[in-house]
Amino acid sequence: MNITKDLKKLVSKEEDINLKNKKTDILDSLDLTYSLQKEEYKYTPLLKIVDKKFDLLKENKDQISQKSYEEVAKFVNSKFYLISVDGYFKSELSNIPPKVKIKKYSELEREEKDTFENMYQKHDDSKSDFFSSLNSIIHEDCLTISVDSNTVLKEHITIININENYDVNNYRKMIFCDKGSEISIFERFINLKSDENFSSSVSEIYQAENSKLNYYSAQDFKENYHYNSINVFQKRDSVSNFFTMSFSGSIVRNNLNICLHDKSCYTNMYGFYAMNDKSLIDNHTSVDHVDENSLSNEHYKGIMGGRSNGVFNGKIFVRKKAQKTNAFQSNNNIILSDKSKVNTKPQLEIWADDVKCSHGCTVGQMDDDAIFYLMSRGISRKDSISLLLSAFSSEIIEKITDEKMKSLLTELIKKQLEKFNDE
Amino acid sequence: MLKIKNLHASVEDTKILKGLNLEVKSGEVHAIMGPNGSGKSTLASVIAGREDYDVTDGEINFQGTDLGELGPEERAREGIFLAFQYPVEIPGVSTTNFMKTAVNQIRESKGEKPLDAVAFLKLMKEKMKLVNIRQDLLSRSINDGFSGGEKKRNEIFQMAMLNPKLSILDETDSGLDIDALKIVSNGVNALKSKENATVVVTHYQRLLDYIVPDFVHVLIDGKIVKSGDKNLALELEEKGYDWIKPGN
Repeated sequence: MNITKDLKKLVSKEEDINLKNKKTDILDSLDLTYSLQKEEYKYTPLLKIVDKKFDLLKENKDQISQKSYEEVAKFVNSKFYLISVDGYFKSELSNIPPKVKIKKYSELEREEKDTFENMYQKHDDSKSDFFSSLNSIIHEDCLTISVDSNTVLKEHITIININENYDVNNYRKMIFCDKGSEISIFERFINLKSDENFSSSVSEIYQAENSKLNYYSAQDFKENYHYNSINVFQKRDSVSNFFTMSFSGSIVRNNLNICLHDKSCYTNMYGFYAMNDKSLIDNHTSVDHVDENSLSNEHYKGIMGGRSNGVFNGKIFVRKKAQKTNAFQSNNNIILSDKSKVNTKPQLEIWADDVKCSHGCTVGQMDDDAIFYLMSRGISRKDSISLLLSAFSSEIIEKITDEKMKSLLTELIKKQLEKFNDE
Repeated sequence: MLKIKNLHASVEDTKILKGLNLEVKSGEVHAIMGPNGSGKSTLASVIAGREDYDVTDGEINFQGTDLGELGPEERAREGIFLAFQYPVEIPGVSTTNFMKTAVNQIRESKGEKPLDAVAFLKLMKEKMKLVNIRQDLLSRSINDGFSGGEKKRNEIFQMAMLNPKLSILDETDSGLDIDALKIVSNGVNALKSKENATVVVTHYQRLLDYIVPDFVHVLIDGKIVKSGDKNLALELEEKGYDWIKPGN
């Protein structure tokens, strides 16, 4: 790999000795991780970005442009928001909620650092995924979010990541949800850079006992490449709800890895993607049931138009100790054009014997009978198709209980579905 | 109102309608009867504009307009309504939302203003009574998980909402118990006027006890082979279709 030299330079500049050691280890095994990616990236040629000779070295620009300010304003739809530009968290541009500690990793006090040092690179997939490894080496200062025990934040926090100046931007964050806390996050990425670029984002989330997390993301990457990896580690009686919405991007790869480490953990993983042109969306999810009585419920739905490609891979592991597990998974796709394609694959590995698991995937076309039925009542073909597509998405949208988030995401989906009208 | 001349239609190269003629005037009720596979449902679908069927010859004229080039939505806007034999289940779209879109698109096509929420609700309430359909059923996804009777009542409810000039009821009696049949028939009869017309497609005479036809036509092998008044239906019920088949 021709990027190794740059990476070595980056690691040598690392000042935190602990981090430097970790990064050196990852760098040493990077070649091996790279060569092991064939199966995991079978339908998703993201590895080709390694050959694009993107410049990895950059300097932190303190200023963001007027254009960025204006763009950001459009995306802020909540009282609290956290803004990062080119991978750097900008506290001066953000509005930090009370009762939640938000800091850069390098600025943490000694006692705060313990929590995050233990979490850092512990539950992520940097040992198995090349891009998480890469992110671990080259990401900027990590953003840390710490929610104190029993803190409940009713309004969601918007996280806005802006790619403005560089070819490659890497975001990293850790979220620590202490016992009994409850927060919601809505994450957006904005591309202001006009040239082709690559961004990566790796998140590590620790959910203590009884905590609850709602995590929404909406991805609109235009002609760019994006890698996203969210890694969740859940303790007893905790609940997580994920809503991942993807609308465009040359190649977008989402890894969502959830470890239900204790008894009675609960996770919902919902996804919706509507792609056209030559975009590619790849959702790789895994849920690991380690202990008894936990439940995972996964449903991804997608609409593929143009020459778009879809990939879904859902892994479910049920460990021997994880009796009374409930694990459900399904992936449904509508293909609108004969040039679009979906590869979907469920993967279940079950070692316990008293479990309830189901999985299923479908790839189909628009239902002509339904279109005729709607048209026979005087509704135009275009609007009949719109009605049916939005009905298809509504099954996911209906799962959102927060009314504000529901209307925000409904609006985004509606805008995206209108693009299919021209096909 | 409706004039069908020498209609030939086929689906995937199989000829189904082979020179069918039919004329329906305002205020009339016509029944089309015939054995399985004679082309009754095809006729209903072809009039409504289903694109799976190729009209290879002949013409359908509706109030002076040749329907040949019109899509199903344009026919609906002209005033044609098809009550489906098998109403389609559409998860995720409520009947209310569906009807609101339909009513307003039809109004728009006539240059009328869309109905506001209050006016639409008022219209809905009024038409709901006609077929004895509950509000919660209409708030649910279209026909999703409905019983056979509920589906057919929903069809007649939609018919009432859209107030068509020509209604085609395709095997509306199939899958209905006697009580549901009465409710559906009462709805159809209540909507009858001098300005509109109804074509009832059915296997059995039973429905015609409730929706009394002015004319009965027997469709066999893609053609109307015999026409008469309501007594013809009774005769068919008694003797079957064999005596009428060409060549017998």
